[in-house]
Amino acid sequence: MERDALYWRVILLAAPIAVFTALVIWPLLSSFYYSFTNWNGFNPEYDFVGLDNFAKIGTDRLFASAIINTAIWMVAAIFLPTLLGLALALLLDSKVPGGTIFKTLFYLPICLSAVVVGQIWIWIYQGDWGLLNTVLRAVTGSDFSYAWLARPNTALGSVIVAWSWQQTGLSMVIFLAGLTSIPDELLEVCDIEGATAWQRIRIVVIPLLTPATVVVVALSVINSLKGFDILYIMTGGGPFHSSDTLAMHMYNESFKKYLMGYGSAISVVLFLIALTIIRIYFRNLRKVDEIYG
Amino acid sequence: MADAQARVAAREFNPWRAVLVISLGCLAVLFLAPTVGVLLSSIKTTREIAFGELWTVPRTIYLGNFVEILTNPAVPHYFKNTVLVTVPATILSIALGVLAGYVFSKLPFAGSNLLFLVIISGMFFPPQVILIPLFQFFNALGLIDTLWPIICVHTALGIPICTLLMRNFFATVPNALRDAAILEGASEWQVLTRVALPISLPAIAVLATLQFTWIWNDFLWPLIFTQTDENRTIMVGIVNLRGQYSVAWGVQGALSLLASLPTLIVFLFFQRYFIKGMTMGAVKG
Repeated sequence: MERDALYWRVILLAAPIAVFTALVIWPLLSSFYYSFTNWNGFNPEYDFVGLDNFAKIGTDRLFASAIINTAIWMVAAIFLPTLLGLALALLLDSKVPGGTIFKTLFYLPICLSAVVVGQIWIWIYQGDWGLLNTVLRAVTGSDFSYAWLARPNTALGSVIVAWSWQQTGLSMVIFLAGLTSIPDELLEVCDIEGATAWQRIRIVVIPLLTPATVVVVALSVINSLKGFDILYIMTGGGPFHSSDTLAMHMYNESFKKYLMGYGSAISVVLFLIALTIIRIYFRNLRKVDEIYG
Repeated sequence: MADAQARVAAREFNPWRAVLVISLGCLAVLFLAPTVGVLLSSIKTTREIAFGELWTVPRTIYLGNFVEILTNPAVPHYFKNTVLVTVPATILSIALGVLAGYVFSKLPFAGSNLLFLVIISGMFFPPQVILIPLFQFFNALGLIDTLWPIICVHTALGIPICTLLMRNFFATVPNALRDAAILEGASEWQVLTRVALPISLPAIAVLATLQFTWIWNDFLWPLIFTQTDENRTIMVGIVNLRGQYSVAWGVQGALSLLASLPTLIVFLFFQRYFIKGMTMGAVKG
């Protein structure tokens, strides 16, 4: 019996473990290995350069701006979709007529690809006939024509808005799931005690939504670290690297300049950042579990 | 009865509800505007768009953009390749997730929890971290500019989420069911395929909708692994054709619309599964 179980564990796990090891674990370890080399991606010969790539990170001005942009991107990705998603969930939770249709509408962008979302928003920001400038011209009566994605000041912010538009529905759905777990009796007590709607939300609903909030924030952070496609589509990290994030910078160094060794060093940094965030997340998750059991 | 009617009436005349519905309506319009933009662009001429008429109600429906797309020789390749990548990678990743999820929930062993954690941690990391070694690996095998690397990578990257959801689902299947079947002389494989699998169809539906959407929409891996039109998938194709139709915005819109149809249809018909998967295994993106 026991030998049978061992036999089946090996048989059933062989394929998934083999594929996962070969195509995820092994490449991850190789990334560390390549980060100590000057490999150019094509030449089979390369040298070990020790910590040179990591030293270069310290002097690379583009890396510094990529780190700052990644931080901006992540902070915005935490706040915008989370707050918007929370607002939408609170509005939708009060059993409005047509609630299901609204929910579908707000959630719809999540099934669109980054390529299509990027395309749509390029047209919104387009200088001459884009929706944003058309509306601004109608409102101000001026001849306003500003290419939002082509200016260093607004490129990153514009992409963040597009990204938030797509991610809001996801936060909304998670908050809605969290709201259904709040007992109706508790809300009835608020009504009986004469609490205003705002007091009810601030004192009862939001604290009880903490577990959902932790999930939403963690998701936002993790997804934002992965966010590469939409930036590549909308700005390509430009103009003048003003919207480069770490993932974008790593792509440019590796696949545009063919500095695969240096690119690997950047992905090692990206990995360490992700690892740190995931550890913080899990530690807080445990705390949340302890509080709410 | 009268009480119920009074309650309905009270609900109808609540001014706050009206404000609520109106504000939601405004938000919905704002939210829908970008998507409607693609729809509108696909039925307008480039001339109309250039003169600032993209965002107005169309007077006529222009189908030339769709004709242009459907007669472009590269487009059938794009769609065929996307199907050839998405379908096998979806099936394979779910199959591997079923195998691993079954062992982790029904045949746990010393260290299996740790192994499980290692596998699901895979969905937290930015995939860019393994980009270079994978490129090098498939380059060495001479498989760059084929569909194989994309299928393999999506299969592997799908293992964490599929294992997680399947393990959690199998955990709800009573062990007594398995034990009884084993006592009857069934092998573990028969328990898995004839007992566990038939009742896990809801979980598989969740995974199928998620995996299909992610793989269909993916841009990064086909961008890295393909180089010619014969092997490009639709999302890379859209970006590539943008050069060819640099100012033919209507054509770009028509292609974007066609490329989004499969995931839109899956989303609208399987929304329940989709939302469930998103909130359950909430971390992949």
